[in-house]
Amino acid sequence: MSNAGKSNAGKSGSSASSRGVYFNTGNGPTIQLIDIGHPDYIALLAPDTAFWSLLKKDKLGEALTNRSFMGQYREKEASFSSEMQTLRFDLAPSAVYFNPTERCNLNCHYCYIPETIRKNGEHMAEEELIKALSILETYFQETVTDGRRPQIVFHGSEPMMNCRAVFAAMERYREVFLFGIQTNGSLLDDEGVGFLTERGISIGLSLDGHTGQTADAARKNWEGTGFSEKVVSIIKKLKDYQNYSVLCTVTQQNMKFLPDIVDHFHSLKIPCCMLNPVRCTLPGGRKLKPQDHELAAYYLRALDRSYELYQKTGRKMVIANFANVLLSIVAPTARRLMCDISPCGGGRCFFAVSARGDLFPCSEFIGIPEFCGGNLFKGEIRQALSSPAFKEVTGRIVERIEPCARCAVRHFCGSPCPAEAHKMNGAINRPGASCELYEEQVRYALRVIADGKEDKYLWDHWDVDTTTSMKITAL
Amino acid sequence: MKKDVIAYRMSCQSSGAGLSHYIMVAKKAE
Repeated sequence: MSNAGKSNAGKSGSSASSRGVYFNTGNGPTIQLIDIGHPDYIALLAPDTAFWSLLKKDKLGEALTNRSFMGQYREKEASFSSEMQTLRFDLAPSAVYFNPTERCNLNCHYCYIPETIRKNGEHMAEEELIKALSILETYFQETVTDGRRPQIVFHGSEPMMNCRAVFAAMERYREVFLFGIQTNGSLLDDEGVGFLTERGISIGLSLDGHTGQTADAARKNWEGTGFSEKVVSIIKKLKDYQNYSVLCTVTQQNMKFLPDIVDHFHSLKIPCCMLNPVRCTLPGGRKLKPQDHELAAYYLRALDRSYELYQKTGRKMVIANFANVLLSIVAPTARRLMCDISPCGGGRCFFAVSARGDLFPCSEFIGIPEFCGGNLFKGEIRQALSSPAFKEVTGRIVERIEPCARCAVRHFCGSPCPAEAHKMNGAINRPGASCELYEEQVRYALRVIADGKEDKYLWDHWDVDTTTSMKITAL
Repeated sequence: MKKDVIAYRMSCQSSGAGLSHYIMVAKKAE
């Protein structure tokens, strides 16, 4: 790891004579102020350690000159730096996105997997799939040693196109792995729903709208037919099942309906959803990408709506991609998604296996052959993880990206995603696709904290297993 | 009465079990 990725905390080793008693000079902590759009509070951040504080606007001068405030931060600076170091550089993979087939029965306009692969690709045979999981079991026995079960997420293309093999693998390895499946839902029948729910398998369903017309605008089969009605019928069947989430891909076509989509999802009693901006890895996605500032306006209204619905009904629907940004602020190490951090989770917290056994840092790279790091069936997991292709992704840090390197919220965002940066912005060390959306999410999250409402946006019991490592209550 | 300063941090053991933006695997499934 180069120094570029390390914090400025603990500068005792610096050759400068400064004792570091002032903010922003010599060996003092580097802090940045940001306007969060709150009537009473302004945020003061130490970006390298992901430290944040909210100060009453008329107390800012006092905070900057008061040694007590700095002292309280300095006391924790080294441990926060170490925490970020571990989170960013010292984790080992414990999850796999597994594509059991190259084929998909849908032809969504924004898919990041090339059309020729989805249309004419291969299924992985059942015995090959079993063999693949056996290889992964052996690998994880050596790397995930704390009693946890590694995660296997069957992903696509459409994994249900090869459901016989997938279900056989889930049955055989049910005690070994924690399984999930991301599916378009079109091939999921009652028997399939029963199989998955009886085994507690995480289910991710895709639904892009509050009406059939909106939801099916970009998600159609090869003949042009949408399946949103079917997906809604599955969601209704899952009403007493908590281990599922709904993924809504947000494009120019549906962004203005986001508050309505939140209403619809909440009325369907969906416990957790993701409102993900369309991925821009392929031209189809880029064509549908909304302008960030326009999307942000609707996205924040959708967050407002989720809060209003909670106030009205007492029932929470977590918008997971925002919840993760909020968690990255209040509890960086408790985050559940690893897109919003640099390096991202691709190739270091999880990796992807294609239907031919090829290894990629993340599913997002499956259509980009130069990011293949090896092949599972050739026993190349370790080689892949240290291959140049993977290293390019796991070495992508915001400190080397402009303007991220000087952005105050760089560790609440991470400038995702590297595949998009590579394909859309021309190089992996360029910014991700949704900069302004992240700016607005972080500002919103800090307003939520200023108003003491963070629990209303987070999963119930999100703080189990966490401890309070710092609390500043007075200047 | 609004506080002059709000600043806290919660910490836990990073397990590396985080996923990408595609799916949430419920912690309670464990």
